[in-house]
Amino acid sequence: MRKFIDAYYRLLNVLLGLSVGLLIVPVTLQMISRFTALIPAWIWTEEMARFLFIWMVMLGAMIGVRDGTHFDVDVLPVLKPRANRILRIVSMVFILIFALVFVWYGIKFVQFGWSQTSELADLPMAWIFVAWPLTGLTWLLFGGERLLADIRYVIHGPGPGDDAPARDLGTGSVV
Amino acid sequence: MTGATLTPAVAALWLFGTFFLLMIMRVPVAFALGLACLPVLIIEPRLSPMVVFNTTFKAYNSFILLAVPFFLLTANLMNVGGITDRLVHLSRTMVGNFPGALAQINVLLSVFFAGISGSSTADAASQGKIFIEAQVKEGYDLSFSIAITAVSAVLAVIIPPSILMVVWGGVLQVSIGALYLAGVIPGLLIGLAQMATVHVYAKLRHYPTYPRATLKEFFSAAAVAVPALMTPFIIVGGILLGWFTATESAAAAVIYAAVLSLGFYREMGKKELWHALLETGKLSAIALFCVGTASVFGWLLAYFQIPKALLANVTTWGMGPIGVGFFIVGVFLVVGCFLDAIPAIIIVGTVLQPLAASVNMHPVSFAIISIVALAFGLVTPPYGLCLMISCSIAKVPLRYALKDTMIMLVPMLLVLFAMIIWPQIPLLLPELIRPDFLK
Repeated sequence: MRKFIDAYYRLLNVLLGLSVGLLIVPVTLQMISRFTALIPAWIWTEEMARFLFIWMVMLGAMIGVRDGTHFDVDVLPVLKPRANRILRIVSMVFILIFALVFVWYGIKFVQFGWSQTSELADLPMAWIFVAWPLTGLTWLLFGGERLLADIRYVIHGPGPGDDAPARDLGTGSVV
Repeated sequence: MTGATLTPAVAALWLFGTFFLLMIMRVPVAFALGLACLPVLIIEPRLSPMVVFNTTFKAYNSFILLAVPFFLLTANLMNVGGITDRLVHLSRTMVGNFPGALAQINVLLSVFFAGISGSSTADAASQGKIFIEAQVKEGYDLSFSIAITAVSAVLAVIIPPSILMVVWGGVLQVSIGALYLAGVIPGLLIGLAQMATVHVYAKLRHYPTYPRATLKEFFSAAAVAVPALMTPFIIVGGILLGWFTATESAAAAVIYAAVLSLGFYREMGKKELWHALLETGKLSAIALFCVGTASVFGWLLAYFQIPKALLANVTTWGMGPIGVGFFIVGVFLVVGCFLDAIPAIIIVGTVLQPLAASVNMHPVSFAIISIVALAFGLVTPPYGLCLMISCSIAKVPLRYALKDTMIMLVPMLLVLFAMIIWPQIPLLLPELIRPDFLK
């Protein structure tokens, strides 16, 4: 299972990196078509950029749950490692609830978009909407993995893979 | 108008109550915002959780927000391309002979870097590693070194390009070109205020200085650094000339940075390029995901007409533009202590917009004072990201550098207050260069 999650995580990383690199392409085409006669002014460039962007955001949101980089605000005093883990379990349970909402209503969202196509390039909207339930499923997988690790820690104490810091700092905000 | 079953007060209690409760339990902000919407969406008969999907989709389906990953990518490419060392060298030839030279270089580098990146946390992280240890070695106090690194990093979101300005322009429908121009003078003034603060510290505490650089040294350092320093002119200039939209200009900057790093500075290989792409994706996606859930929260606030209810009292105070300006800044300073700036813009910015409009405050000047106040929130505890990053690099608790940070904030606040009293400070450049942007 661990191996499967690792492989899936690596796949998502590759897709995320690619989506960022590819984002440049349609926007560049748009600029080239405006200033030169090399290519026609395709109307789908903007839409393609937006849809790639949506997938980039959702892929990053999936990965963020395994990395633990979705930013939180720490208003509580410094806690003991065990109390910290218990709090992490509580907060993860809420993330998983949100994940379930994404899966359940996300499937409805895809069904709703099943017969729709996009305005400019005539793409089936389901290709885009499917990112939501997939994000929910991925959160369940990654979040469940972290949750189990934390529960194990609280019951049995620190294990071999638990030397990582309980809180990750300085990531999660672009501002 | 909406015929909502819940009154604004009850809906606000559900939304904010759930949100704060979840936040205290350290549920990540993006999730806390989304989860806080669920009870209301279920209770209110006309709504359903499908609102979450429609609204997040609309938020992400935005050509403007594309600029956010592009800005980060530009900064990452420049960083791995070895530009930082060249800029440090240039700063040294410019302010190396001032008292407290290394700290002055720290501030000046932040000004340069602010023109290349739009991200303060990136600035705090990269400069913290360079300066904090080096300053302590030269005899500067540790708390001073941490504080100056943190406060100078906030310039990144005030001097264009700025991620906050892109988000503000996209969400509240203000010209991003106008915001960029309006940020220049306030950013430079705050930078000057910081340099003055360093000067006073350096005189009182006898911080060291370097020998004056010759004019030749300055020109040779400038020649190497100038291509990188052209970045803000490409981004802002392209928009001003009407060549590019904000997003296209950000993409142009990415291409420019890639060409510079691969071709001119030649310190970037395939591995570094991939790393820059991946890091950009991870960081921007997490922040932008939060834009989506914050938008749902903001949509519900508007649906239940909560801003109107919240401000009903305030509008009866009869404040003029200056009073309202101080009120807005006060709200953003407090909110900035607890909330990341992007969700703060989406939620609080939309709440305060009618108040600013009611006293005829210019949307651009409303945006800039709010963005500057939020930028100051990056160094105020408990959620002052830049201060947290600087402290964690120095491996000390946040309290350690708090006093010096607060002292340095005073002159910066004075600049902000001046901007409220004289809105011409931010509005001068856009009025001179592109008055049509202000309409």
